[in-house]
Amino acid sequence: MALLVAENLSVGYQTQKGYLHAVEGVSFSLGAGKSLGLVGESGCGKTTLAMAMMRLLPPNGMIRQGRIFFDGEDLLQKTDEEMRQVRWKKIAMIFQAAMNALNPVHRVIDQIAEAILTHDPLCDKEEAYEQVRGLFQLVGLPQDRMRDYPHQYSGGMKQRAVIAMALACQPKLIIADEPTTALDVLVQDQILQETKNLQKEFGISIIYISHDISIVADVCHDVGIMYAGQLVEYGAREEIFDSPRHPYTKALLSSYPTLTGEKNRLVPIPGETPNLIHPPLGCRFCDRCSRASVSCRTETPVWIEISPRHKALCD
Amino acid sequence: MELWRYISRRLIQIVVIFFVILTVLFLLFRLAPGDPVSRMVDPNLTPEDAELLIKELGLDQPLWMQYLYYLKNFFTGHFGNSFHYGQPVVQIIWDRLPNTILLFTTSIILSALVGVFLGKIASWHKGEKTDTCMTLGALVTHTVFLPWMALIMIWVFAYKLGWFPITGMISEEIWLDPEVGLWRKVLDVLHHMILPLTTLFLIHFGSYLLIMRSSMLDTLKEDYILTGRAKGLPEKVIRDHHAAPNAALPVVTSVGLSLALSINGGALTETVFSWPGIGRELVFSVSHNDYPLAQASFLLIAVVVLLSNLVVDILYAYLDPRIRY
Amino acid sequence: MTVTTLNTDRKLSERFHWISRLLEGWSIYRKSLLGKIGLTLLALFALMALCSFIPPWVDPMYQPMTGVDPEISYSVGPSMRHWLGTDFMGRDILSQLLAGARIAFMVGVSAAFMSVVLGTAIGMIAGYMGRFVDTILMRLADMIMVMPTLLVVLILAALFGQLNIWTIVLIIALFRWPGVSRVIRAQTLSLKHRPFIEAARVAGASHLRIIFRHIMPNVLPLSFLYMTFRVTSAIIIEAALAFLGFGDPGTVSWGMMLQWVWKTGHMFKAPYWLLPPGICISLITLSFYMLGRAMDEVLDPRLRKEGETD
Repeated sequence: MALLVAENLSVGYQTQKGYLHAVEGVSFSLGAGKSLGLVGESGCGKTTLAMAMMRLLPPNGMIRQGRIFFDGEDLLQKTDEEMRQVRWKKIAMIFQAAMNALNPVHRVIDQIAEAILTHDPLCDKEEAYEQVRGLFQLVGLPQDRMRDYPHQYSGGMKQRAVIAMALACQPKLIIADEPTTALDVLVQDQILQETKNLQKEFGISIIYISHDISIVADVCHDVGIMYAGQLVEYGAREEIFDSPRHPYTKALLSSYPTLTGEKNRLVPIPGETPNLIHPPLGCRFCDRCSRASVSCRTETPVWIEISPRHKALCD
Repeated sequence: MELWRYISRRLIQIVVIFFVILTVLFLLFRLAPGDPVSRMVDPNLTPEDAELLIKELGLDQPLWMQYLYYLKNFFTGHFGNSFHYGQPVVQIIWDRLPNTILLFTTSIILSALVGVFLGKIASWHKGEKTDTCMTLGALVTHTVFLPWMALIMIWVFAYKLGWFPITGMISEEIWLDPEVGLWRKVLDVLHHMILPLTTLFLIHFGSYLLIMRSSMLDTLKEDYILTGRAKGLPEKVIRDHHAAPNAALPVVTSVGLSLALSINGGALTETVFSWPGIGRELVFSVSHNDYPLAQASFLLIAVVVLLSNLVVDILYAYLDPRIRY
Repeated sequence: MTVTTLNTDRKLSERFHWISRLLEGWSIYRKSLLGKIGLTLLALFALMALCSFIPPWVDPMYQPMTGVDPEISYSVGPSMRHWLGTDFMGRDILSQLLAGARIAFMVGVSAAFMSVVLGTAIGMIAGYMGRFVDTILMRLADMIMVMPTLLVVLILAALFGQLNIWTIVLIIALFRWPGVSRVIRAQTLSLKHRPFIEAARVAGASHLRIIFRHIMPNVLPLSFLYMTFRVTSAIIIEAALAFLGFGDPGTVSWGMMLQWVWKTGHMFKAPYWLLPPGICISLITLSFYMLGRAMDEVLDPRLRKEGETD
């Protein structure tokens, strides 16, 4: 049974100018110990999706429809109190821009210990500190820096601390939202490798959110491509990369250079993302698609199953 | 440790500033229109005594010599005699200093603590009635004219209702009576202190409330607050343990920035309530042309302001780990 | 010459940019409730100030300072003859109040104006010259900001005898410029490296010319916006001084009225005399504060209500 199943999820925000359809009809599933990569450009709804899954949307955000099954239970039916217990203990999150994810006035060790102590009332402070020690070792942070304050850490160290914190309660799922975007490439690579190792070692499921498809290619079993709030292609990594079907996926792949194979010209995608307050009726990628036809604009696109592990909203 | 270096740096700055003030005061007193001698020498002295005093203060010497005498006198505590009281100035201001410190410090601490507490609550109920009431209340009390507020307080609570004494810090009957114990004396001072304290408190807590409120609202948007929620922490913990300590920092800074204003207010309050402090002494001495007393009071107030600034800076450095480490 | 035309083009677009920013600011300001209330109150006070000339014109006994009512020479409550009553010398309180409004505006605006002029000049010079000059000027600003203005003016009053209202205004201005100069300095620093300044330097403009012809027009709007913050403190300082007895004895300000009520022992007996001046000072402070808050929203986009931008 899949660990996480999202069914027809639609999320939006109430703004001064109207209701913004940030996520529309997204469905996917994630097995235990597997990783899923969500790729898309800024504003495609991936962060909103992540926030919705943890029910951390801002006051003007709402989940219009759909269900999120985690470990068999529908998260959307839970009360706030129940949700608080799910957070971090079952599902943890690593945020974008870890620069500010840690509170500047508290020591790092205390912040991580806090996560442990909140979810394990039987644990006492000393035990918690002991666990933090173990976590530091796990992520490769020096033990003598535990009692430092966040501003004394470098970017890479902060990111590792945030990862350590996410692992603190041994969650079953970690949602990593652009965890390495702000880091330099060397550190980025290190962290990615460590993430892979941790995943294998502990069997944690990971949802990896990024705008960089090359990172996702490295780390994830399954890949979902998002555009303008919708999932446009979804499937096993190999199939997506070997035979992309949706024009957007193809365009994404060809806008990144490859080390092997022929040298192709990099093709940027012309045009802009559609207005999500009044989303277009038909396919949302029409305006930028080279293969757009009249029917594309008027008909709602349907899922086409290319293989048991690969589906797309176009062919 | 970083903290000590920071403190010593600030201390040096303060000493420099104080010296500049000292010098400027010296120049002003000597170079202002009119006869400087009449300012330093009590007009009621006999010519022989006056002559002695002039020699002692070096008023017959060239300006730079006078400056040296001035510094020497300052550091040996010779501020001359008050024209009005006839006593050494040092004695007078030494008597008054604790009274001012008592009133001033208590009012600042009280208004800062209450302002921060209420501001935190107001931010939490943003947009609701509680918030609107608090913000409006803060706005109105903050802009009321201090001396007028003092007069109104006296009129209503002391005169009309008779709950508090109209002026002063102590009731002589209680303090002169040898049988009265310490506790009663303390209560007496407190009884006299309530009205001036309340006046100062009402005027000042508003600005701390407003600053804390907007600071909290800003802080609650920070990423680490989202982290806290994601960690499954209860809202109360997030608000009090994570947001408030960060939000309180700008308030501390603002206490420092408004110290000068608080001293102004303190002097006005002392004057209206006849609270025997240095502020009142300054006002009094200026209106009676008691130059030695005026000069010394002003210098002492300058010291109080500068030291308070230092205390606030140290407090801030202590509270914000980014400075300490 | 290409450089000068470049310069002129930039200056023109900068000039128009300034106007469009002003209009944009106004539309934001209009939406703020605080701003509207503040402006209304101020308009009320301005009206009071303008009307201050009416009572003495109607009858010389309504002169605020020198009016003599042949029938009343002591303090008496409101009546048809004297709408707010009279003070201890039989002078009409309402006309004093109106005159006070006039003085308040005069003192407030002049002191604010002077401190802004001073602060802008110093801020520009400090920001532009940098290094040594900058450090000295900013240290000076720090020292002045630390000192309690009221008490300094008191000491000066001790030395110079009774102060004239304009001297008071000048001294207030001398102590209020540091706040403005900081902001202007920051603005100057950000402008200093813009291409059009570089172009002017290359074209051989002297430092003074650059500061006053090129930088100044761009910081002036900011200066004037900050003027609102200075007006209140000037009014309060003058009122406090007058209250303590160090004001200009020839002017009737609200602070002076409070001094009279207090010192003549009418504090408890004459609420009609005690209340109006205090209320006026407090309200005018409140209105400028509201104005300032609305200005803050104009100046700092982050403070605007969510969803109003773009």
